[in-house]
Amino acid sequence: MERFKVKLQLNGEAVELDVNPSETLLETLRDRLELTGAKDGCGLGACGSCTVLLNGLPTRSCIVLTAELDGSEVSTIESLADGTKPAPVQESFMEKGAVQCGFCTPGMILTAKGLLDRNSRPTKEEIIRSISSNLCRCTGYKKIVEAVEAASSTETPKT
Amino acid sequence: MDREYTIVGTRMTRTDSLAKVTGSASFTADLKLPRMLCAKVLRSPHPHAKILNIDTSRALRLPGVKAVVTAADAHGVKWGVFKYTQDHPMIAVDRVRYVGEDVAGVAAADEETALEALDLIQVDYEPLPAVFNPEDAMKKDAPLIHEEYANNINVHVHIEVGEVDEAFGQAHLVREDTFHAAGEAYSTLEPYATVASYANGYLDLWMPNAAPHVRAKALSNLLKMPLNKVRVRRINVGGHFGSRSEVSPGDLVTSLLSMKAGCPVKLVLTREENAACTRQVHDIQATIKTGVKKDGTITAKEFRVVYDGGAYSSTGPIAASIPYYVYEEAYRFPNVRYNGYRVITNKGIRGMYGAHGRAFLCGNEMQLDMIARELGMDPMEIRLKNGLKVGEETATKSVIISGGLEEPIRRAAEQANWTEKRAGLTEGEGIGMGCVAVMCGFPMGFRSGSACYVKLNDDGQATIVTGICDTGMGNESMAIQIASEVLGIPVEDISLVNADTVVTNLDPGAYSQAASFVGGNAVKRACEDAKRQILGFAATKMNHPAEDLDIRDRTIISKTDPSKSMPMRWIVREAFFQGKPIAATGAYMPKVDFQREWIKKPYGQMAGTFSFGCSVAEVTVDKETGQIRIPHFVAAHDCGNPINTMAVEGQIEGSVQQAGVAVLTEETRWTEGLLLNPDLLEYKVPLACDMPEIEPLIVCSNDPEGPFGAKEGGLTTRMNAYSAVVCAAHNALGVPLNEFPLTPDRVLKALDAAKGGDKS
Repeated sequence: MERFKVKLQLNGEAVELDVNPSETLLETLRDRLELTGAKDGCGLGACGSCTVLLNGLPTRSCIVLTAELDGSEVSTIESLADGTKPAPVQESFMEKGAVQCGFCTPGMILTAKGLLDRNSRPTKEEIIRSISSNLCRCTGYKKIVEAVEAASSTETPKT
Repeated sequence: MDREYTIVGTRMTRTDSLAKVTGSASFTADLKLPRMLCAKVLRSPHPHAKILNIDTSRALRLPGVKAVVTAADAHGVKWGVFKYTQDHPMIAVDRVRYVGEDVAGVAAADEETALEALDLIQVDYEPLPAVFNPEDAMKKDAPLIHEEYANNINVHVHIEVGEVDEAFGQAHLVREDTFHAAGEAYSTLEPYATVASYANGYLDLWMPNAAPHVRAKALSNLLKMPLNKVRVRRINVGGHFGSRSEVSPGDLVTSLLSMKAGCPVKLVLTREENAACTRQVHDIQATIKTGVKKDGTITAKEFRVVYDGGAYSSTGPIAASIPYYVYEEAYRFPNVRYNGYRVITNKGIRGMYGAHGRAFLCGNEMQLDMIARELGMDPMEIRLKNGLKVGEETATKSVIISGGLEEPIRRAAEQANWTEKRAGLTEGEGIGMGCVAVMCGFPMGFRSGSACYVKLNDDGQATIVTGICDTGMGNESMAIQIASEVLGIPVEDISLVNADTVVTNLDPGAYSQAASFVGGNAVKRACEDAKRQILGFAATKMNHPAEDLDIRDRTIISKTDPSKSMPMRWIVREAFFQGKPIAATGAYMPKVDFQREWIKKPYGQMAGTFSFGCSVAEVTVDKETGQIRIPHFVAAHDCGNPINTMAVEGQIEGSVQQAGVAVLTEETRWTEGLLLNPDLLEYKVPLACDMPEIEPLIVCSNDPEGPFGAKEGGLTTRMNAYSAVVCAAHNALGVPLNEFPLTPDRVLKALDAAKGGDKS
């Protein structure tokens, strides 16, 4: 099978990969690089459990081919904390009780992070609209919305 | 007097949340062991067929294939929760009974090879006539799916209390209605997965499970291996809701593959396989007859309920009884006849659901509203009149020891402004109420109880060892919180070892609402024993009576003389010195009637205690489109006393989604034996934008048996939220709603039917 050479900026580090053409970004992350924070919930882009930031935007890694990503920047949940200190959005998910089984959590946090990076003071409606891209089966979303609201108030607005 | 607790009842950050927000929490599919192989399962394409021959030789010759297994590698043992329901071989022997049934398994070096090998397995089938609808399946000439179940009736639960016919004869008003609800998908975000690692005669297993001890026992039976050689280990579980209670066919296939290949094997199901080939929820049809006095007192109830059981028994009689029990635990009725039929069909396997019995519960509650309307009563008043109180017995003789229905009703109604709202409704608006009560733990023989060990380590920190299992609701954190409260040491001083069958003691698991009530009680008792030992040593060391000593924030203190104190670790070290390290055991067995049996003797104390709840939903209905919206939802749940307030709220809020909003969207759709919506695009799990404004209300009845008064954390909402929405829609529309979920087409159909229009 033909192979593709792909250079990525992954979690702040340059990586060079040699992938097959049908390999999804999620497979590359989980199977090749052992970054298992992104989860495979549905395999067709419906649930958002596999969300990563691709060039800063929340993206479903299960429906993106790694071979197409040469030169891209990818951030996964593993890169969000500052060393052992969780990022504010991670802190607020913990403090607000927005985490139950935890399967949707990495994708949900990266979706929230993507929103807050673009809009540091989103309204509640904007938060709801944004996280409606991701499924959670445990929480009823209320505490997730509260966590994103709390995180937004701790972020410094970008001017 | 209640004492002020230090940490119980606080909004504590769950101890498992750091690993989950950083992505380091491992789920089964994340595991990678040396030499691990990838498994795939060959599944039946037929709803019903004889297997004439299976030829695996070509698959075995494919390079990279390490093992292929079929029923020939299994031991002919069938799974079923009860002796009389053991009918499921888990890997098909000579007949397949549903599309997706496990026929053969392959373990290969990689996924592509495993998939290619599946194509090389030749199975010769002889298709058999199939039946997909329980009413058809019960007909005389229907194809028989299992020889042992005449008319395909898997179980018949019959309950008879009082003089039912006489009571109906004397009733002021009698109503009879029939309701039908489609089955649902659990839709746990984590698709099913199993890792099995067999070496030196021992089998290690990881899988999303709700009760490791129960799972290990089932697999030890299926594999004909001694229980001590089958070890189910702790792993994070991505949601459960009933779906992970029982052993799964994938567990057996993966175990057999690992034993044959001599390597660890991982099976991860696709989302579609998870929906079609693991357990789903029963379709239910309920005919409900109710008799009342003029003042609204319920005098008689009669039920005929038919459960579409799919191809095998699963929890059989439990599934065919629970909707009834959670109803009788809420309301008083002296005369009742219940006939529940669980019927085998050629559809996928089914199990218990946290939100089980939609057609039954919605039907009862909406019918009660219809009766209230005929009697000129407020739906709240008729519920208050018939709701059970502390000290009363349910129809089948379970005593209510705490709570009762009144307070959740009053709290929810007050918060929702029930009376004012009802008076001020405009066209298309409705408000409705749903009530239920739920058992905490139920008879599972000697497995009903839980035991915990605790040891104090040399720096004064503690290790708690318990079989408690956490499938997402926060049970691990709950156990640590209870230990912290009793031992007087902070949460960060406590290590938890749990849900590992070689290490932990028996525990009933994260279902039947037993984790906090039963498992939490065992943790509390073990820690109390440890504390007694600590204070005994401290009394000698400090020359002060033990009764006046306590532990606060790692320090032994005198309750009356604050000048007397000593670091707890000194005492713990003293105990080591004396060769009597602090180690304790605690156990709790719920006070249930163990003579009770689901079919033979459905009478006696069902559970240690019961939680009560009331949900109030407000809806708006667009009569042109049939679209229902839920702007506001109040859910009052009597959890006894919250261990973690935030976690209980989270359970209530999740329940509003999984039941209240789900009743508008969620259903499994079938064409004959094929599941049409196994994925998450076509099966509509509610999103954030679908959710109402939720107000969770925690009602505290301070249960006399529960640890710190606790019962369970939110299941009443999971069972009454859909009734509340259906009753609200009925209130808005004024027409009977007999088909669930309340999708727009069904709403329009109900409106048409009421007009006497097109009933097709």
